Amino acid sequence: MSDRFKGALVDTMLIGSIVLLLLFFYAPIATLVAFSFSSSRVLSLPMEGFSFEWYGELLAKPDFLPAVTNSAAVAAVSTVFATALGTAGAVAWIRYRFRLQRAFQVVTFAPLLFPQLLLGVVMLLWFSVLGNWLNFSTGLVTVIIGHIVYITPFALVIVAVQVFGFDDTLEDAARDAGANGWQVFREITLPLLWPGIFSAAIFAFLLSWGNFYVSYSLAGTARTLPIFVYSGIAVGSSPIYPALATLNLVPALLLVAFAEFMRRRALKRQSAAVPTA
Amino acid sequence: MKIERKSWTDPVLIGSVTPLAAVMLFFFVIPLVMTTVLTFQTTQYYRLAWTWDLTIWTEIFSKPHYWTIMLRTVSMALICVVLSVLIAYPCAYALATRLKTYSTQIQILIIFAFLTDAVLKTFGWILVLDNNGVLNWLLAKVGFPPETLNLLYTPTATMIGMLYNLAVYPMFTIYLSLMRIDRDLILASYDAGASRLRTFFEVTLPLSKPGLYSGAVLVFVLSLGAFLEPRVLGGGTSPMASELIRQSFETRVNWPLGAALTIVLIVIGALTLAAFGFFTLRRKATKGGAA
Repeated sequence: MSDRFKGALVDTMLIGSIVLLLLFFYAPIATLVAFSFSSSRVLSLPMEGFSFEWYGELLAKPDFLPAVTNSAAVAAVSTVFATALGTAGAVAWIRYRFRLQRAFQVVTFAPLLFPQLLLGVVMLLWFSVLGNWLNFSTGLVTVIIGHIVYITPFALVIVAVQVFGFDDTLEDAARDAGANGWQVFREITLPLLWPGIFSAAIFAFLLSWGNFYVSYSLAGTARTLPIFVYSGIAVGSSPIYPALATLNLVPALLLVAFAEFMRRRALKRQSAAVPTA
Repeated sequence: MKIERKSWTDPVLIGSVTPLAAVMLFFFVIPLVMTTVLTFQTTQYYRLAWTWDLTIWTEIFSKPHYWTIMLRTVSMALICVVLSVLIAYPCAYALATRLKTYSTQIQILIIFAFLTDAVLKTFGWILVLDNNGVLNWLLAKVGFPPETLNLLYTPTATMIGMLYNLAVYPMFTIYLSLMRIDRDLILASYDAGASRLRTFFEVTLPLSKPGLYSGAVLVFVLSLGAFLEPRVLGGGTSPMASELIRQSFETRVNWPLGAALTIVLIVIGALTLAAFGFFTLRRKATKGGAA
């Protein structure tokens, strides 16, 4: 076997592995999208016809829209908190050295290493005990707190990558030009970290929006979208869930497209700002 | 990049550290302590009783039923680690070395699938793996007898679901450590006459070990808590630890038992992490000594 042939074979296998991986990742998603347009109530192949019937039936479900509102509210609030806390944490992680920093790093990173179900259970126990003492029960607020604890470490890591590649000579330049601490932060630090903060926020929103485990543990009687689906498929499969999955892809697609657009714009700006690069 | 030493009297440090530290302390560290405390209590008539004894722990250690399920959980987790690394490595390698032009787009596709609602994706797998599902339909199309594979509601289906949800983690950790490898080292190896294969096994693979190990540990720890996969795809036929925990809360309303089972899983995960940390620190130390 010639070297060139071997090389080509390895290339094909490697690229093939990525293709297979994408097929694997998209198999259930594509199946859901396809079945959402089926006209048959039974979810099996071959598909019988094309219809939008299930979208109508989904919207007609009385507990569907409240679940959407709950999910949106939870995701919006947790995104704001997780991104803000994660950004502040990332700067402290990477740029500062202080006493107890190790402990700070361990505690802020640990939720990432926790299976979500256990994270949810641990918090559920605490909220139940606390609720017994202070007379409250779990609901959307506890879900939001749970999401913040779960998602902030993700946001922190994403922003930390941005902080790590940060060029701080610009800050020094601004300071030399007479800017005070707040001005430096507002005019230099924040814009430079912005791409990282922005991706962290999108990641946080989608993580919260699709989160099942933490919500399931902490929601009490409230319902978010994933809980709505879980309790639905426990009873029996129905074509409204493929329809929901397809609808669910739309905002995510828009967010990802928007993020990609912002990234490209940032890249263009960078190359415009540094003509020699 | 410049690193600033800050004292705890600096308002900037207090402002950036305390809010997050407070959240984690109050909603993560204290709950963990509380969970541990609860394992020493009992329930009476479905209500928590503050008895401060070892009833729950004696129950857990005396019933082999719990340990069979724990053992199954750990072995599923180990299988999942091996398979997900085998899936992830070639993909990460291809992404880092072959597909540079499309690398960002492929990563976005992967992250997009990862961030799609897990319950819906799991439901999608039911439609794929069902006896009358997409997979068997495709197999029948290419000439296999009808209903060739009976995958749904078996441990295999559980494993497929776990790999689906977790293979992303080692993919990215391995990718990151492959990207950090100094290209000159690989070129040097070629210059010294090593073949591509030899270079891979003696230069690239050892240098990507940090990503490989951290990805593996991450998969192991996270798969200890798999719940949707064994329940929805495995059909509850071979329950894992998460199912025990769910039952102790929902069916038996026994918080101390659920807390104790949670602690057992956390300890298994923590021991794995500690062993990993010890191992990598020791390796660093020996390397440092040699240099």
